[in-house]
Amino acid sequence: MTIFEINNLGFAYPERAVPALDGVSVEIRSGEFLVICGKSGCGKSTLLRHLKTVLTPFGERSGDIVFDGRPLASVEQREQAARIGFVLQSPDNQIVTDKVWHELAFGLESLGEKTPVIRRRVAEMASFFGIQEWYGKSVSELSGGQKQILALASVMAMQPDVLILDEPTSQLDPIAAEDFIETLKKINDEIGTTIILSEHRLEGALPRADRAVAMASGRVICQGSSSEVGRALRAAADPMLSAMPTPMRVYLALESEGENGSESEREGAPEGGGNKDAHVPETVREGRVYLTEKLQDGAGGGQNGSGGREASDHPDAGEGSGRSVAGQDTDGERPARAKGEESITLKEVWFRYERSGNDIVKDLSLTLRAGELACVVGGNGSGKTTMLGVITGENRHYRGKVRVLGLDPKKAKGTRLSDAGLVALPQNPQTLFTRNTVLSNLIDVAAAHAENPSDHESVEREVRRVAELTDTVGLLGFHPYDISGGEQQRAGLAMALLARPKLLLLDEPTKGMDSFFKEKFSVMLRQLCADGLGVLMVSHDVEFCAKHADRCMLFFNGGVVSEGAPRAFFSGNSFYTTAANRMSRGLIAEAITAEDVIEYVRDRARGAL
Amino acid sequence: MTASAADRSIFAGYHPIINYVFFGYAVLVPILFMHPVLLAISFASAFSWFVYLNRGRGLKFGLGLVVPLMVIAALFNPAFNHEGATILFYMNDNPITLESVIYGICAAVMIGGVILWFACYNAVMTSDKFIYLFGRMVPAMSLVISMALRFIPRYRAQAGRIASARRGIGFDVSSGKFLRRVRSGGEILSVMVTWALENAIETSDSMRSRGYGLSGRTAYSVYRFDSRDRAMLVAMLALMAAVATALAAEVVSVMFFPLFTVSGTSPFGMAAFACHAAVCVIPLALDVREDVVWRMSLK
Repeated sequence: MTIFEINNLGFAYPERAVPALDGVSVEIRSGEFLVICGKSGCGKSTLLRHLKTVLTPFGERSGDIVFDGRPLASVEQREQAARIGFVLQSPDNQIVTDKVWHELAFGLESLGEKTPVIRRRVAEMASFFGIQEWYGKSVSELSGGQKQILALASVMAMQPDVLILDEPTSQLDPIAAEDFIETLKKINDEIGTTIILSEHRLEGALPRADRAVAMASGRVICQGSSSEVGRALRAAADPMLSAMPTPMRVYLALESEGENGSESEREGAPEGGGNKDAHVPETVREGRVYLTEKLQDGAGGGQNGSGGREASDHPDAGEGSGRSVAGQDTDGERPARAKGEESITLKEVWFRYERSGNDIVKDLSLTLRAGELACVVGGNGSGKTTMLGVITGENRHYRGKVRVLGLDPKKAKGTRLSDAGLVALPQNPQTLFTRNTVLSNLIDVAAAHAENPSDHESVEREVRRVAELTDTVGLLGFHPYDISGGEQQRAGLAMALLARPKLLLLDEPTKGMDSFFKEKFSVMLRQLCADGLGVLMVSHDVEFCAKHADRCMLFFNGGVVSEGAPRAFFSGNSFYTTAANRMSRGLIAEAITAEDVIEYVRDRARGAL
Repeated sequence: MTASAADRSIFAGYHPIINYVFFGYAVLVPILFMHPVLLAISFASAFSWFVYLNRGRGLKFGLGLVVPLMVIAALFNPAFNHEGATILFYMNDNPITLESVIYGICAAVMIGGVILWFACYNAVMTSDKFIYLFGRMVPAMSLVISMALRFIPRYRAQAGRIASARRGIGFDVSSGKFLRRVRSGGEILSVMVTWALENAIETSDSMRSRGYGLSGRTAYSVYRFDSRDRAMLVAMLALMAAVATALAAEVVSVMFFPLFTVSGTSPFGMAAFACHAAVCVIPLALDVREDVVWRMSLK
């Protein structure tokens, strides 16, 4: 049965020449789990908002939408409110009331349900989502992940047939995001609700989805099973490929070579790339099975000649000791940078918020050198952000030694630390902006840090230079609230750079960035480090840290428990590590990124011949 | 004062209507009828319940703040109020009268008692109950208050985050020249408005998406008026009615000026005092009884 039928939908916002949607046709079957992917600004949100009349934006529209056999526009508001559930991006903004129980009841109150009915439905939802424990709490006491689960539960309390979610995990950390997607799967499996989810974090969503739709500039570029979509994107060499789960990326990179015939030796291989119907591995488990087979069969893909050599290699691989990635010396590509002088020295530092409270930072020792990009990873609530506060002096440690750019943050009054070159970029860059345009925000900072603030020309020159570096030239005229999250991150970075940092603190900078911009961002950071800037970054994004950091630290229970160059660091962790490492553990030594795995297998294929 | 007091108190577990009827009575009777016996009973019950709820901290607040305030109030009245027939002595050529001394003491006990009742209210009542009551009277109000209670802490937190983020890039609100600080604070305020409006769009989407604006909205509450509440309400109203009858019949009455006259020593009057005491002591009695029963059951 079809629940939604979108026929040739086109839409343009008023006074915009380029349509936001163009000839979109998608059929959504009842009970399916559909993922819509695409980079930010591709029209995902606009499409989803067309599926509920009250949220539909104003503008020029063509085509039609059929809901459950009737044109959507003719379905009564009351029915739409109950049957079409919609969860938005920001957990904070979509929660309306102050108490958890009240929020759960909100929708049912609107529908005019009687108290006994509401009581039962709310109770059911609270137990389904495991909310009982915080049922009586204030919303402000909840974590971001809990808030988003609450938003979901309060929509589910209305018992919708369809649940539409517009990038619901973009403001959550990866662990909470994973929990959230898992909850969606549970709803889909156990209640049978149709789920339409737009996402840029596909690692968790795609393996759980029945079908995927890929969009780019307002058009559907392909739809089908995730395997089909993956192949189609690969064939088109679409940049969206980099947002796919690691196992898919590895598989598609390795198998499509055979398809393209680029490596002639693969042609005709029985389980090589030729098989267009084969399932593309999506999860780490499937990826491991695939990789194991791939390495056993020999990269030659069934060429018997090389089989003998493979067999003799194999026991080594089983132990996870032998092979090193692609013959590279470990982290050899970025050695010299960590030699600058120490910009941060923390020695046995302790901090707590209240006299009678628990220690949040405990016995923390850490150093950062100029020119180094160091990443601190670790679970939620382990004290990472609190640690940044200790460095900026916001949180005053009560024991231990702290030196930041040669100063003690406890004693540095006013703007002494920032005058010395300490700049911190907050988790939400929106909090930085106080002016109406990006440009005036930038000028503000530049003028405050210029040697001669009245020399407008040099200030402007500086702004232009940084805007070009951070790729914000196109954004200068906009209001900072009108640009996307990733763009805000860039503008925030530009402001940070104009403050003339010698030491940059970043708190979750990749949150809300899509994978396309992450690449750009990393290039920017590397460039800055090469110029001698020290960067300390707190992040949940292990994939990003593995790829780009000079040094990674695992933060646990208030202190750094282990640290090392990313390759050694992540291959030493067994759980808190990248998907590529988990997938190749015991098969390929010290592979931490998808590229590592791909390169290794390719090299072996060449070597095997 | 603390959420834990609200959780601990058995009286707080009763239906909000019970809570409000009680507090309404406890605060209004002393204010309207300043009979010394009623005042004394009221003050004593408020003081002991408050200390019971907040333990040592409550005692500190009671003795350290409320009692000194009462002493000042008691001294204040005779110094400025010279009504009354019985002159005790002259101070700066002004007569100090017995009546105004007594009135001052009564007023002080009344004020102290009311402050303590409000302190108990604060410790025991949650915003939910307040919202419930208003929701009953004006349904639209309950949502508005609930939303306000959600947004005020949010805005405060955001203002703090903005200030700290600005500090991170070298704009410190708390230091520098006065004018610059004012300007900096103003900028934060203005961007807060933008921020609030910006977020309100998504909030309103979320509300409309969940059917807000459809006709026939109901107000849900977590409170159920159970048999325990009914019994308590009946008992409380009966006792209150008895006191009210005694007051209306002027069996219990007081007059301060020109001569201090007080009545209530008749058996009916004594019964009225007993009823007043019974009402005032309800919360404390419930809490103490529950604690005793709980402790016994553990043995």
